[in-house]
Amino acid sequence: MDILQLIQSNLLTPVILFFLFGIIAARIKSDLKIPEAISEFLPIYLLAAIGLHGGIEMRNTGFENMLIPMLVAICLSLLFTLNHYQILRRLGNLSIFDSYALASTYGAVGAVTFSVGLSFLKNQGVASEGYLAAVLAVLEPVAFILAIFLTNMAVSKQIRTKKQSFVKDNASGIDVGFQETRTKLSQILHESITGKAIVILLGSIVIGYVIGESGFASIKIVFDDMFTGAIVIFMIEMGIVAGQRLDDIKKVGVFLTAFAVIVPTFNGVIGVLVATAMGLSLGGAVMFGLLLASASFIAAPAVLRHAIPQANPSLYITSALGITFPYNIIVLLPVMFTVSTFVHNMEGSIDLFHYVLKDWV
Amino acid sequence: MKLYAVKLLTVTCEILAQKDVIEILKKHGITGYTTYEVDGNGARGIRGQGFKNEKNVKIEIIMREDKLQDVVEEISRTLFADFATVLYVSDVSVVRAEKF
Repeated sequence: MDILQLIQSNLLTPVILFFLFGIIAARIKSDLKIPEAISEFLPIYLLAAIGLHGGIEMRNTGFENMLIPMLVAICLSLLFTLNHYQILRRLGNLSIFDSYALASTYGAVGAVTFSVGLSFLKNQGVASEGYLAAVLAVLEPVAFILAIFLTNMAVSKQIRTKKQSFVKDNASGIDVGFQETRTKLSQILHESITGKAIVILLGSIVIGYVIGESGFASIKIVFDDMFTGAIVIFMIEMGIVAGQRLDDIKKVGVFLTAFAVIVPTFNGVIGVLVATAMGLSLGGAVMFGLLLASASFIAAPAVLRHAIPQANPSLYITSALGITFPYNIIVLLPVMFTVSTFVHNMEGSIDLFHYVLKDWV
Repeated sequence: MKLYAVKLLTVTCEILAQKDVIEILKKHGITGYTTYEVDGNGARGIRGQGFKNEKNVKIEIIMREDKLQDVVEEISRTLFADFATVLYVSDVSVVRAEKF
């Protein structure tokens, strides 16, 4: 019952209500629209605020303790991406391209989901580790790079086998394939690392680290007090865009709809458990789980449309934005919060047990 | 005033395909073009709603006829299958033919 209550109270927060309001506005075909400049500005603002917070906190806590969570997050993200591919390709019977595109969309992280998670925790009065902002930045390109690499390998293998049926000697063909893969990969690597999301995030982490708590005081009103309010405005836009895509969900199909709900749940809960095992706080474990559960819908199309143009973009955008995003912020966040609370309490009792044992011995 | 006949190639495509088109132009030694962001409807549904990534772009390129064939062929071959693309060619006249 606790989960249901939490979901209910989460549903009645301004962030979620404005999101639902945006969906309704789109459904009744209202001409309500957030001006383009603002909806482009808000993600930059949100990432800057996240980065500043992360940087300030990293100054207080140091870098050492973020290394292990970061490496674990990268490994999990890669594992999940491979796992998604197998599910999509084997169970869903999707094409290679659609499978890789979707696998990396769900292996990547959603910056907007991350911001909503932070405001959810703020609402619950729980803090989270600031270095997770750095994990967010590092995790962003990881899944894409893997998927693009594997897609290119699959394509050049196909070309190779095709060529083999014509000519026996094709060493040059392989070389050309590898060369093309490498140039394409390095180009995409460069593009995604210099993409605006990562640049603003890393830039603000550095600036936050340099200015520290005292320097932040003068800009706190913009980057801290206004954070949730800015998310609310952005959520209207997100609701409108998601609402416009609701009709497309029929095209997505039952399998992908189930995938878009079950996979984030699985990834998120695993993330919470792993984070707890690594010693992250209650809120930190929720955010860590959210990093793994979230799907990318702003960065993904820009990267994938170039890297895997054969994949159908409406599949991965619609499932990530129309299904997974609402599910994550409305249902999965409270669920992960409950799981995290449960596990952290349990750990407390294990500690107690340990102390009892120590007394005994 | 004397006018010279050249070709105007207009490509309307997804904004994310803009870079590919411009790269093809560069490869054929064409550096001049004009782009504008547009909305529209077509075989791949209404475009231009939602994120900026989903907008369309219209690219206009004036060129001499001898380059046209290769450029059109390469755009058709690389972009038609995967991107929402419309391409057409028209005859236009310019004053300074040496510019193109």
